[in-house]
Amino acid sequence: MNSIIDTIRTDGLRQWLPLATLILLVILVGAFQPAFLEVNTLLQLASDTAVLFILATGVTFVIMLGGIDLSIQSMASLSSVVVALTLSSLGYGAFVFAFALGALAGLLSGIAHVRLRIPSFIATLAMGGVLSSAALVISRERSITLGESERGYLGWITGTLFGIPNVVIIALIVLAIAHVLQSRTRFGRYSAAIGAGEPAAYASGVKVDRQKIIAFVLSASFAALAGIILVGRLASGSPTLASELLLPSIAAVVVGGTAITGGVGSIWRTLVGALIISVVRIGMTFLGVNIFAQNIVFGVVLVAAVAITIDRSKIPIVK
Amino acid sequence: MTLDASISPSQSAKPTARRRWRIAAWAPLIVLVLLCGLITLINPNFMTFGNMVRISQAAMIPLVLGLGATFIILMGSIDLSVEGGLTLSAVILSMLVLNGANSNAFGMFGILIVLLVGAGVGFANGVIHVRLKIPSFMVTLGMWFVGVGAANALLGGMAIRINDPMIRSLAIERFLGFPLGVWLALFCLLIALIIQNYTRLGRYIYALGGGEDLAALSGIPVGRVRILAFTLAGVFYAVGGVLAAAQLGLGNAQIGTGRLFTTVTAVVVGGTALSGGQGSVLQTLVGVLIVVVLSNGMVLMGVPPSVQIGVQGLMIIAAVALSIDRKRMRIVK
Repeated sequence: MNSIIDTIRTDGLRQWLPLATLILLVILVGAFQPAFLEVNTLLQLASDTAVLFILATGVTFVIMLGGIDLSIQSMASLSSVVVALTLSSLGYGAFVFAFALGALAGLLSGIAHVRLRIPSFIATLAMGGVLSSAALVISRERSITLGESERGYLGWITGTLFGIPNVVIIALIVLAIAHVLQSRTRFGRYSAAIGAGEPAAYASGVKVDRQKIIAFVLSASFAALAGIILVGRLASGSPTLASELLLPSIAAVVVGGTAITGGVGSIWRTLVGALIISVVRIGMTFLGVNIFAQNIVFGVVLVAAVAITIDRSKIPIVK
Repeated sequence: MTLDASISPSQSAKPTARRRWRIAAWAPLIVLVLLCGLITLINPNFMTFGNMVRISQAAMIPLVLGLGATFIILMGSIDLSVEGGLTLSAVILSMLVLNGANSNAFGMFGILIVLLVGAGVGFANGVIHVRLKIPSFMVTLGMWFVGVGAANALLGGMAIRINDPMIRSLAIERFLGFPLGVWLALFCLLIALIIQNYTRLGRYIYALGGGEDLAALSGIPVGRVRILAFTLAGVFYAVGGVLAAAQLGLGNAQIGTGRLFTTVTAVVVGGTALSGGQGSVLQTLVGVLIVVVLSNGMVLMGVPPSVQIGVQGLMIIAAVALSIDRKRMRIVK
């Protein structure tokens, strides 16, 4: 078993495996359902992937460091509730407010993780509880549907530009920003260094704690943005709006080839991973798999992808 | 001379370390007593027998789940599949015993099958974790959704009513004023105590949590102990599933929602360290009581239930921050 995994891991094959999988899946679904390959269907696929991709992009920053963020779905839901509640009074300011709230929540998670030295999965699990509690309280446990006048503010999400849905353009902007952050800034380099070997990064003077806090701020801010996009697409906010998105998001990151142990990965891989998840979902819907039962497949895919991408030399004792 | 110098600080350090540990072990109990006193002052109805029964009913499922999770956390691992195991068990139980959806009526045999299912889920967790060397939180995160997804696939969005009198009696019939389910939970506590204190598995689990490399060097079959511990935890979650199904009188796919959170809160609030090696199932009992008493008190004070998740989240952070042994973990991920 391990020897098979080792052969998959060695050489460049591993790096191109996700992309090859994606192309294969697209051809496979296209062969069964030729309508899938039409431009409109593909644009629809891209729009449907946008939210997942934005969530996954945020959490990629944290996973690159070797941490995890289990609070993104709660943050996105809270953000959707905040936007839905404040849109009538704040106008476009509601989006800024929700986004800032995301940054603040990420800052708190980061501080809890770094200063109190709580493992990230437990700090963010707890933060997720706090956030979803806040969402439940301020929404009075109901979903909030937007009125006609409030929907006017959502044009930048729901509209199209030259035939391309704005959601896709937003996702592409996110991709560009995240890619620059990841590969062209000090933060990006330091993150990769911390993920590859934290003691070495620390010893060479990298301010490890600060990079970690930035990563959590980015993760929660992107989650808040995902919540805003969800409000635009559904014209409503709800405290449980995004709760089904945690597993697909983490699966997207890992399936794309970013190692859960940190250090290896990129935003491009996350894009490929998110598209794989979307295509698999469409394929399953086409095959008539119950939407809740699809979680079985995602759970299995997640564990399998981790098994292939994980760097076992970095964890002598697996806990 | 040099020898003396090197020995004396370690000797003087030992008693203080032990004393600190003892305070850490007793602190949750003190918190529990203070909490009970405070709530009684605010609302004297808290100390009535009727309310005690209510608290015991609310505590029975978190206790059983917490017992399973304690063994995993004692090893320094984590199990996020609590809801998956519980939901799948509850749903399968509702399909096997006398119910409103099919003609099965396996009774006791059905419970046995459900316990085996729970053991199977835990065993799968353990084998994947150990053999493929994947961190436990990742494996069990996957298993969480596989379990809930499988329960959904079995039900197809329905809920199945349970008519089996034996299952229902766990919630309805009483002995000395307390429902039978509470006694079942206490029986589980007794078993967990025996496993923890009087079996090789229990000692090995502590050894693994204290230092896995040392444990492996001293000949402990580390992999087998881990797989056994996850299997054991799976059985406890299955018992939790039986109790949850009995309490609700039906099996549905939402039966586990929120239970992982309460379980983890209870275990860490009880003082069991996430780094492993420190804690016990009795401390989990105290932790469960703290969580349940606090939410009971909040209900008595009229705080909406949705706030309680947030309070639990803050409790997790506070408890972990207070109990973590930072000297042992320079890198926190």
